[in-house]
Amino acid sequence: MTTTLSRRTMLRGLGTGIALPLLDAMESPALAAPARKATAPVRMAFLYVPNGIHMPDWTPAEEGSAYKLPPTLEPLADLRGDFSILTGLGQRCANANGDGPGDHARAMASFLSGVQARKTEGLDIHCGTTVDQIAAAALGRRTQFPSLEIGADRGKSSGTCDSGYSCVYSSTISWRTDSQPLPKENDPKVIFERLFEDGRPGESAQARAKRDRFSRSILDFALEDARRLERDLGASDRRKLDEYLSAIREVEQRIDRSHRANAAGVAKMKKPDGIPQDYEQHLRLLADLLVLAFQTDATRIATFVFANEGSGRSYPSIEVPEGHHDLSHHGNDPAKQAKLGKINRFHTRQLAYFLGRLKATREAESNLLDRSMILYGGCIGDGNRHDHNHLPILLAGRGGGTLSPGRHQRYEAKTPLNNLFASLLDRMGAKADILPETTGRLEGI
Amino acid sequence: MAFRIARLGLLAFALVPRPGATTFADSYDADVRPILEKYCFDCHSGDRAEAGITLDAYRESRAKTHERKAWVKVLRQLEGRAMPPDDADQPTRDESAAVERWITGYALVPDCSKGERPGRVTVRRLNREEYNNTVRDLFGIDIRPADDFPSDEIGYGFDTIGDVLSIPPVLLDHYIDAAEVVARAVIASTDAEAAPARPIEGGRLNSTGQFTRDIDIAEEGNYVLRVMAWGDQAGPEPCRMVIGIDGKPRRKADVPNGPGAPLEYDVKLRLDRGKHQIAVAFLNDFYDKAEKDPKKRDRNLAIDRITLAGPVGILPTTLPTSHIRFFSRPIEPTADLTEQTDQLKAILTPVASRAFRRPVTNDELDGLGAVFFAARREGETIERAAQLTLSALLVSPSFLLRFEGDPPPGRIRSLNDYELAARLSFFLWSSLPDDELFRAAARGEVHTPEQLAAQAKRMLRDPKATALVKNFAGQWLQLRGLDEVKPDPKRFPTFDADLRTAFRRETEEFFSHIVREDRSVLEFLDADYTFVNERLARHYGLADVKGEAFRRVSLDTSKRGGLLGQASILTVTSNATRTSPVKRGKWILENLFAAPPPDPPPNVPELDGNGAKLVGTLRQRMEQHRADPSCASCHKLMDPLGFGLENYDAIGAWRDRDGEAAVDSGGELPDGRRFQGPAELRAILAARKDEFRRCLIEKLLTYGLGRGLEYYDACAVERIAAASAAEGDRFSVIVAEIVQSPAFRQRESGADIK
Repeated sequence: MTTTLSRRTMLRGLGTGIALPLLDAMESPALAAPARKATAPVRMAFLYVPNGIHMPDWTPAEEGSAYKLPPTLEPLADLRGDFSILTGLGQRCANANGDGPGDHARAMASFLSGVQARKTEGLDIHCGTTVDQIAAAALGRRTQFPSLEIGADRGKSSGTCDSGYSCVYSSTISWRTDSQPLPKENDPKVIFERLFEDGRPGESAQARAKRDRFSRSILDFALEDARRLERDLGASDRRKLDEYLSAIREVEQRIDRSHRANAAGVAKMKKPDGIPQDYEQHLRLLADLLVLAFQTDATRIATFVFANEGSGRSYPSIEVPEGHHDLSHHGNDPAKQAKLGKINRFHTRQLAYFLGRLKATREAESNLLDRSMILYGGCIGDGNRHDHNHLPILLAGRGGGTLSPGRHQRYEAKTPLNNLFASLLDRMGAKADILPETTGRLEGI
Repeated sequence: MAFRIARLGLLAFALVPRPGATTFADSYDADVRPILEKYCFDCHSGDRAEAGITLDAYRESRAKTHERKAWVKVLRQLEGRAMPPDDADQPTRDESAAVERWITGYALVPDCSKGERPGRVTVRRLNREEYNNTVRDLFGIDIRPADDFPSDEIGYGFDTIGDVLSIPPVLLDHYIDAAEVVARAVIASTDAEAAPARPIEGGRLNSTGQFTRDIDIAEEGNYVLRVMAWGDQAGPEPCRMVIGIDGKPRRKADVPNGPGAPLEYDVKLRLDRGKHQIAVAFLNDFYDKAEKDPKKRDRNLAIDRITLAGPVGILPTTLPTSHIRFFSRPIEPTADLTEQTDQLKAILTPVASRAFRRPVTNDELDGLGAVFFAARREGETIERAAQLTLSALLVSPSFLLRFEGDPPPGRIRSLNDYELAARLSFFLWSSLPDDELFRAAARGEVHTPEQLAAQAKRMLRDPKATALVKNFAGQWLQLRGLDEVKPDPKRFPTFDADLRTAFRRETEEFFSHIVREDRSVLEFLDADYTFVNERLARHYGLADVKGEAFRRVSLDTSKRGGLLGQASILTVTSNATRTSPVKRGKWILENLFAAPPPDPPPNVPELDGNGAKLVGTLRQRMEQHRADPSCASCHKLMDPLGFGLENYDAIGAWRDRDGEAAVDSGGELPDGRRFQGPAELRAILAARKDEFRRCLIEKLLTYGLGRGLEYYDACAVERIAAASAAEGDRFSVIVAEIVQSPAFRQRESGADIK
């Protein structure tokens, strides 16, 4: 194949599939416009780690901004001005409260909901709408996807999970309603395709409009069919059909608004091949996708689960061949606690990577981290005792200028975690009234 | 709150005598009431009972009906040690146990004299396996589109439970994508998307200039040239380009879109066989040195990619079988659109009926026809319009969800032949009914017990019954968990992907053998044979097995036998670095005897809370742990079973030593029986036929019905167990009894006493 180029023409190898660093996509006029508004969009993400954290290596000894960085937070040294450690928060409904064992299941289920999960293996599963979904219900219409749920682990494929609780509880962090858990997507390739490959990249407006018309006619048939079926259904069947109908509606709404964000600047990230063998690579790819989703405004709300609650994952890459859950019941054995600390540090390293990427992503005069509220933590403090009253909670980002990170803040013991969530929802401009368990707003964040 | 009958099993296994019902009834006055009076009546009696729980108004006639719920609550509170509250007097362990025993052994045991209740199954969406199999069997294409779907929710250990399988928006996105993928695989079309596409490298034009590319066309026809372009915009006008072929300009276009937002610019071409030259030229270079903003200084055109798709409008010479089958009668391109739509509806009728697992209705056909008509009116080809119609069908709830209409409140309804056919096929094949079953349903020949049993028997012999191995056995025995185990490579250097696969294959072959040969299910416990290939034989220390293929071998039963000698199960119940006798014991109780041990107390006591360090071998440390009375009562059920398997390491290889120490695989069961080593343990377990049989029936029922079992299902389980025992416990007998049971053949309406 010959190439004829005129005198001043330079051919640069575009389109060769190299993973180029993310450029400032906001330079594109289509995307820069909304960002320049006074009320810049704020992003919100909740990152979850299971099995508790070895709290002595997590909690700083001093309060305020001059605290000494504890070992587990060391990977975040370069970002210490960008996050706060909030100590003393608890999630009451993760406790047994008469429901007996099952702390791992309850922990994950109540973390973002503040609701006591109903103890059932399957019939009538019940939890509560989670904070991310409250935000998504209020604001999700502004973006292509109301929210994004990702994680490294699939739901468990067989067997039982935790003490009479359906496996749904210990693998789900987001609940759309009190009876609808939202599964996580795990495969970076599949996530990329869903978020960024709606139709051929760059397809013409005309082709797209035609495709949208066909999509609608397919959905119309599905809706008609659903309405015909609705007639003779019992209550729990109707609930399932309602789930179906609201999913259809969400897709329809997306067709309405997809033209805006589609350009996306997505070509700047190479489409992932699938799930990497290496766990760290997997987490980083998921983090990359989340950054890209925020950057392109595909969504503003996300949950990201590093591992399912009660995870028995081993960490050979950091020389911890034992299972995480087993180690978390350390029985105060210093050797086990040390290994637990290594796992905790491994996870904060991944957090540091994610926060670093957000910070490095410019948006107008600011950066993505400054425009985000990133919560990192879990619903168990000391895993040995399944403590739900002293949770490891880290809040990063400036929330578009509404948060002042950089400190270690202590609260009265057992202050409801939902107070923090209510404060975050306020900043998002979503109504926080429906959050249970709140006793007020969290000051000092 | 639902109550699983499985719990009853624990008591049986713990060998607590199960007295006759009258003894239990009598024992209320003698044993239960005094305890409740002492600890509970203060708050839970009279008109102002707390939480509405009144325990002093017990009447025997109501215990099993209206008061069931209350007793379930009492049981939960006692099990969780949540009641009485901490500041009140606490019952002794024996007192709690007496009340628990009475509740589980009497109050919650159903009265079977009035027949079996069918229960109610919540509408089920297809799970991933079912979606893949259904597409395969409906169209004859095995493309597994559901592998990309999010994982299915698990309830009661299985992914077939309607109550937990949810339909989130993300799944609908996947359904829509999968429908398009399936439709394009089933039907060949002639649009540019379906045509062969060749990529042509792009580039960047910084000044007025052009690319040319030589191409070789093998087949004369219509092509679409697609240029993905964007520009650095500067100056008063947008980037402008011209696309040409063989020296002739064909399309002049403005390219106003900027970096990060490439758009495609299409040109339709008619090309002869032979060599051609494509050219893209940048027409309006611009450079303004004076411009302050460097981004607005220089206008450049960037071509990300050029694709030539075609020839379009020509169907491939070899059409897929699915395409030929779909167009069983042609749609006349010359007929008017209404007539074409009628023709489509005619050929779609059998497809849609199969897909919906019942005759498609006229309303539905009209709706599908409307999709076709709209696409045709927009100028799409017949094939493309048919693809879109197929997509609509595959996204519709009648395809994705399995509906069974409810009877009026309080009534019971027999399922119709189509509903029964679907229940059969999803139970045994994880797929839709085949032609034979569907035709039998159309003739009304699937509803008598004999017809159901005969179909089930036929279906178990069909190769599609491997779904039962993959999906039922894969979950019952937790073989699916093998994908997630990561034995420590330092301690277990022989473990690799091949061995992992071999572990699963062994148990699948073993299970298939019992199904296919219709063996006694008791062989699960004590078969003296198994299936190995060379790799697994080496792992087990068996000689003379060569090659990749699995074959049946006889076992030295002093070393192995039954499921509990299989590395798959021994591995999924181990930790990464060592065996876990507790997990193995728990696995046996849960999965072989339906007797799950009570869960650990909510706050795990710290093992060295009083400063005493646990020392010694794993086994010695566990025995010290059991010295704690709050742990002992359950661990004495689990641990000995696990100790009996200590001759198998964490990947199921035989061992006589664990590190420095000799393996001690002896133990004593709660009933005082002692054993030495896995063979003796196996003999003891194999004698527990009744519990095992009941357990397998419960698991199969749960999986097959798609709901958790309720207390009243104990009646069906007992009846099926008796029938199975009477006929040599052959696998087909259990399946036949299940599909003939009221739970399988009928449904009741939602109003339920839970």
